[in-house]
Amino acid sequence: MHELSVMAYMLERVEGHAERLGATKVIAINLVVGERSSFVDDSLLFYFEMLTPGTRAEGALLNLRRTLMRCHCPPCDTDFHPTGADFRCPRCDTVGQVTDDGTELLIESLEVVT
Amino acid sequence: MSGPTVKIVNIVESLLINNDLAAGRNQRRLAEAGVLTINVMAAPGAGKTSLIVRTLEALRDQARVGVIEGDIAGSVDTERVLAAGARDAVQINTGGNCHLEANMVDRALTELDLSQLDLLLLENVGNLVCPTHWALGEHLKLCLVGAAEGDDKPVKYPEMFAVSDVIVLNKIDLIDHVDFNREFFLESVRALNPGVPVFEVSCRTGAGIAEWAAWLLAQRAALGGAAATTEVA
Ligand SMILES: Nc1nc2c(ncn2[C@@H]2O[C@H](COP(=O)(O)OP(=O)(O)OP(=O)(O)O)[C@@H](O)[C@H]2O)c(=O)[nH]1
Ligand SMILES: [Mg+2]
Ligand SMILES: [Zn+2]
Ligand SMILES: [Zn+2]
Repeated sequence: MHELSVMAYMLERVEGHAERLGATKVIAINLVVGERSSFVDDSLLFYFEMLTPGTRAEGALLNLRRTLMRCHCPPCDTDFHPTGADFRCPRCDTVGQVTDDGTELLIESLEVVT
Repeated sequence: MSGPTVKIVNIVESLLINNDLAAGRNQRRLAEAGVLTINVMAAPGAGKTSLIVRTLEALRDQARVGVIEGDIAGSVDTERVLAAGARDAVQINTGGNCHLEANMVDRALTELDLSQLDLLLLENVGNLVCPTHWALGEHLKLCLVGAAEGDDKPVKYPEMFAVSDVIVLNKIDLIDHVDFNREFFLESVRALNPGVPVFEVSCRTGAGIAEWAAWLLAQRAALGGAAATTEVA
């Protein structure tokens, strides 16, 4: 259910852009959703389908580009993807430092018909 | 004459930009009034209201504290904080929404006399996912965890711990009964948010509350304004 209000806000914004661009129809919405958001793809798509009928985005494709979180291990000087059990380096067991990756929650672009 | 054309338009903006803008307006209003505002986020039952009550008691003679209570329904928590000495309290029923949003706080702010407050505590809806994304206009984000919920919360909900300005570990009176590995909890918190202050408290026994309240008061003083340094009559 966490995805419902996010999709509602996104759609309101997309409608605003469509209006501004003089678009009659939105055919694709390209989003970037970072792993750290904890939002689930299926739920985003589910609420999108639920909310779009009657809007300019009805029938539009919702493309979700996922970004992953990363951890930096100073001794190994490498980045790794945390396992989900802890933030320790798989090579040397040092506790890594989580980087800024995977935090995105963006509307990247729209494909519209004008 | 050409027919309809398909265009790709770059946007690149936050999905929640409308909320971010509303939060910015709240923030300016609160900053102008000199009201240090804390967004209290936690899972259901972690002890948000209990911490607010303890904070009110600890700061009773030192700061004028208002509370905004976000809840899916009901007003029990608002009654609790008023009984504990809140100067003012407003209830927001989110009508099923699992988090507070900036426009809800905007409406609640109109019901408060901000000139009478030094601090404002916002109790968010119990949930470790959404509140991280929905800015409210707060100065500080507080993440509260109850020891009984487990030491793996930072690993499971990284964003909550990464964005928080302060973390409070509550229910430390239960720590030996619930297999809570304190070292593991702290190492995960540090991996996500190296310098973040962590207070270990028990809202049941009152342990650690004085340190937490002193820190909060220092944050209020750092915001500036005369009220923070004067004794409350
Ligand atoms: N043992 C123990 N129990 C606590 C402590 N703090 C709170 N509790 C208990 O935990 C329960 C939930 O506390 P609340 O303060 O209502 O928690 P909350 O986060 O406001 O809950 P919701 O608003 O319903 O999400 C109550 O039964 C409290 O008495 C503590 O430090 N130790
Ligand atoms: Mg509560
Ligand atoms: Zn939610
Ligand atoms: Zn390593």
